[in-house]
Amino acid sequence: MSSHAAPTGFQQQGQRLCHRDDVAEGEARGFGPLEGSKRKVIVVRRNGALHAWLDACPHYSTGTPMAWKTDAYLNGERTHLTCHSHHALFEMDTGQCILGPCLGQSLTRIEIAVGEAGDVFVVAPCEGGVA
Amino acid sequence: MNIVGPDYLVFGVDDLADAIEYLTAWGLKPVDVTDRGGLFETLDGTGVIIRHKSDPSLPPPLPTSNMLRQQVYGVRSAADLDAIEAELGKDRRVTRLSNGSIEVKDDHGFELKFQVTIRRELDMPAEKINAPGAPAQRKPNEIGVWEEMPALPRTLSHVVLFVPDIEIATNFYCSRLGFVITDVLKGAGPFLRPKANDDHHTLFFIRTPDYMKGCEHLAFHMGGPTELMVAGTRFVKKGYQSFWGPGRHKFGSNWFWYFNSPLGCHFEYDADMDKHDDSWVAREAPMGAESSQIVLFEMREKWAPGGPPPGAKG
Repeated sequence: MSSHAAPTGFQQQGQRLCHRDDVAEGEARGFGPLEGSKRKVIVVRRNGALHAWLDACPHYSTGTPMAWKTDAYLNGERTHLTCHSHHALFEMDTGQCILGPCLGQSLTRIEIAVGEAGDVFVVAPCEGGVA
Repeated sequence: MNIVGPDYLVFGVDDLADAIEYLTAWGLKPVDVTDRGGLFETLDGTGVIIRHKSDPSLPPPLPTSNMLRQQVYGVRSAADLDAIEAELGKDRRVTRLSNGSIEVKDDHGFELKFQVTIRRELDMPAEKINAPGAPAQRKPNEIGVWEEMPALPRTLSHVVLFVPDIEIATNFYCSRLGFVITDVLKGAGPFLRPKANDDHHTLFFIRTPDYMKGCEHLAFHMGGPTELMVAGTRFVKKGYQSFWGPGRHKFGSNWFWYFNSPLGCHFEYDADMDKHDDSWVAREAPMGAESSQIVLFEMREKWAPGGPPPGAKG
């Protein structure tokens, strides 16, 4: 596989990312990389809902990792997911870039589901975050 | 105008504690750093100054998400400050500060300061190598690497700026301040060195849309490629994020390793950059992966092969 930022496909579906309690409100953490991908998956909790995004800033076609240190994905005010290449800011729940080099572009959403025991898994694409 | 190169870069950050942690881990020495920020020095005294972005002592921010607030250039003498003031005073406001330094904006609105350089002269050996056919650089019994070997940034090397208009930027630094173009990556921009510095570049421009204007990266000279890779490996082991490298650029021949940072731009360790004089004729190459580097590697976890396969008898 040559693409660094390969979107999730059949190969990733069913893989476990974390437990839902691993990510507190307003926090972001990186998990993986999943089998078949070079990039981690960022899991963020916003207004109670978990969202997952591929750790790949869309500024460059191959996508580049966004943290400045392990799990350090947020800006100083802790209001936005941030690419620490050039300080592009992304909304935690929509993935939209609102300031920076990739203005108007979006992060790649990873669809997730929470199992009975609270484990967070990658699933086939669907809409929105999960509780 | 004997401009030596950048003495300091000044940033207005959104989290001082993160920036202080990062700059210290990078290998810079905090000097008079408080909870309001301060100076982080390389071995020759050049470095990075940070303040919170709301600090009123900072020059105004760029109209982008970039955190760079000012580039402080060192010059050889007070006469050079007078010459810069006379030249730039022709068409813009130049502010003379009480310590003799001057503040001014370039043609893209980047805040500049010029001062008699604070660089301390270094007296340290470069990385020494042994090769057949050449005199040994290390004496018998002098080892090349050891676990605790020092690998600290020696000096602030160069700044790379995202600018919307290469012609305007080049004209300002070359025609007004005496910088020289050493090479050009077509589609990106030129490498520049100032008159009083023989490094291949202390400044490089990359053409971008206006909303990206700012600092792309700043770089620090290390003592050689081994120091660069040792420092970078230690940095990754502490959890910091590699962006590009290690590798070796073609133009400038410098080794490189770039990292993400909480200062809104990349930080680069570099080593073994080419030197030039006025007889050099600038080369051109199209911007791209081939022209950007002669080799590129990616860090991996340490590993070692063994003898027999695992579980082999005997």
